[in-house]
Amino acid sequence: MAVPAKTSSTTAWWLIAPGVIWMTLFLVIPILMIVYVSFWTQTTFKIESTLTLASWQQFFASDTYITSLFTTVRIWLIVLIATLVIGYPTALYVGLFVKNKTLSTILLVICVIPFWTSFLIRVLAWRPMLGKEGAINIILQKFGIISAPIEALLFTELSVIIGMTQIYCVFMVGPIAFMLGRIDPNIIEASRDLGAGFWRIFRKIIFPLSLPGVVVGAIFVSVMVLGEFATASALSGRKVNLLGNIIVTQVGSLKWALASVVGVILTIVMGIVVALFLRIVDLRREL
Amino acid sequence: MESRVLKPILAVYVALFILFLYGPFFILTILSFQQGPEGGPQFPIIEWSTYWYRHIFGLTEASRVAPLPVGQAMTRSLILAFMTMVTSTVLGVMSAQAFRKKFKGSDIVFYLIVLGMITPGLLTGLGVALVSKNIFNVDRHWWSTAFVSHVVYTFPFAFLVMLAILNRFDASVEEASWSLGVSPMRTFRKVTFPLIFPGVLSSMLFAFTLSYDEFSRTLLSSNEQTLPLAIYGTFAVEIHPNIFAFGVLTTLFSFSLLAVYAILMGLSVRRAKKIAIQEEIG
Repeated sequence: MAVPAKTSSTTAWWLIAPGVIWMTLFLVIPILMIVYVSFWTQTTFKIESTLTLASWQQFFASDTYITSLFTTVRIWLIVLIATLVIGYPTALYVGLFVKNKTLSTILLVICVIPFWTSFLIRVLAWRPMLGKEGAINIILQKFGIISAPIEALLFTELSVIIGMTQIYCVFMVGPIAFMLGRIDPNIIEASRDLGAGFWRIFRKIIFPLSLPGVVVGAIFVSVMVLGEFATASALSGRKVNLLGNIIVTQVGSLKWALASVVGVILTIVMGIVVALFLRIVDLRREL
Repeated sequence: MESRVLKPILAVYVALFILFLYGPFFILTILSFQQGPEGGPQFPIIEWSTYWYRHIFGLTEASRVAPLPVGQAMTRSLILAFMTMVTSTVLGVMSAQAFRKKFKGSDIVFYLIVLGMITPGLLTGLGVALVSKNIFNVDRHWWSTAFVSHVVYTFPFAFLVMLAILNRFDASVEEASWSLGVSPMRTFRKVTFPLIFPGVLSSMLFAFTLSYDEFSRTLLSSNEQTLPLAIYGTFAVEIHPNIFAFGVLTTLFSFSLLAVYAILMGLSVRRAKKIAIQEEIG
């Protein structure tokens, strides 16, 4: 018994309404509110809805805030490249080289499991690794590679980058491995029969076909790294201040308007980054 | 492809990669068995002991190291994770059901839902805090503002999982049930639900664990501490191996959730296979 088209469309709307209302109330309006409040007047402990550009001027007049904008972009770029360079070979092995389906699933699961554990504990776990008396320094000294412990490993920008790379790597590996797994082995076989070396096959076939995966991974990693603050404050000893850290400190001192300005700037930066990635590949067509 | 050379090299690389993923946690686990209360959060291990595990449960004598303030926070986190799990799974199933037929505006609705999982938690938290403070004039609590922002994050996961399940779903079984005069509610319970159960289970796992570990959304949208906020609070002061011990315990908890999930999933797949075989015989 076919349900008439009109009723099924009404049913669809009833089913979707709670979700749409939820997302509108608790996601869209809040984001619009951030934009709105960024133009509010900030007094010592309060914000009033009189519109002003004061908080915006305060942001762009301050060296601290501008520096943190550049730090955020720099760390994002480094982490993005690091996750790609470190994650790609893993994805290549899991998605293309492992012919056994079970083994490849197991490897992927091993990579994904940390995603289900506490993010903060994963960040914290880098402290005893990187410290002056940390595991890395002890191992390097034992093998006589270094004579004195490297102090630059913890509470620096480097420790933040190492921590973020480890935490966000899996978001790069997953999508790339997925795209590589879909490559028809016959294409590679054919090009090998025609005498192409691995490097050439990689450049001409494997990499281009994995590009949508790279773009999806890059979008995930970018959005998460740009919105980060916890890794920076836990592993840099508050030396690295990202835009996210500014938001947290400003809210802590009840400077809601300035926090909102930083929030809007963060959103704009992310928007630009995502738009740029989407220009590389037409995801709707490729996926 | 020179796979004879490349494949072993890549295999070694992947092993190193897994070491990179799990190494820090491994070291953290070793150090959680440090002697207490004098032993610090670094090597060498003075003496192996379970002191810091007992310390968490208040089973040791009072020392200069304060107990971790996790008791109440733990209860809140578990209740919050449960609320989030139920709400986002229900929303996810309903929305994905709606998407089985294309309807007007479905594209926009799709992006609206997915936006929830890609918006950074800090912005969701900030926005929800601003709205509750300046529009509704209500206080921020873990069970109200933090709860809604958690669902904003986990509902898209549930939705996408359910969408993937329903895409492979054969609608004719439902139609058969309807044409036999079974009511839509009963059809959903008896026919649709068993078929989409693996998806529901995955949605629940996603929602519960993501909410239980959620930090950045909660930070700005809750006045009270949940578990991740309590853990974060200890980062600011000198750290002791008790936080490592706690990290091991909470990770074991996450792993056991994954194990329960895997078992239930295995059972449901087995059952589905059995039914399929019976049908073939019949």
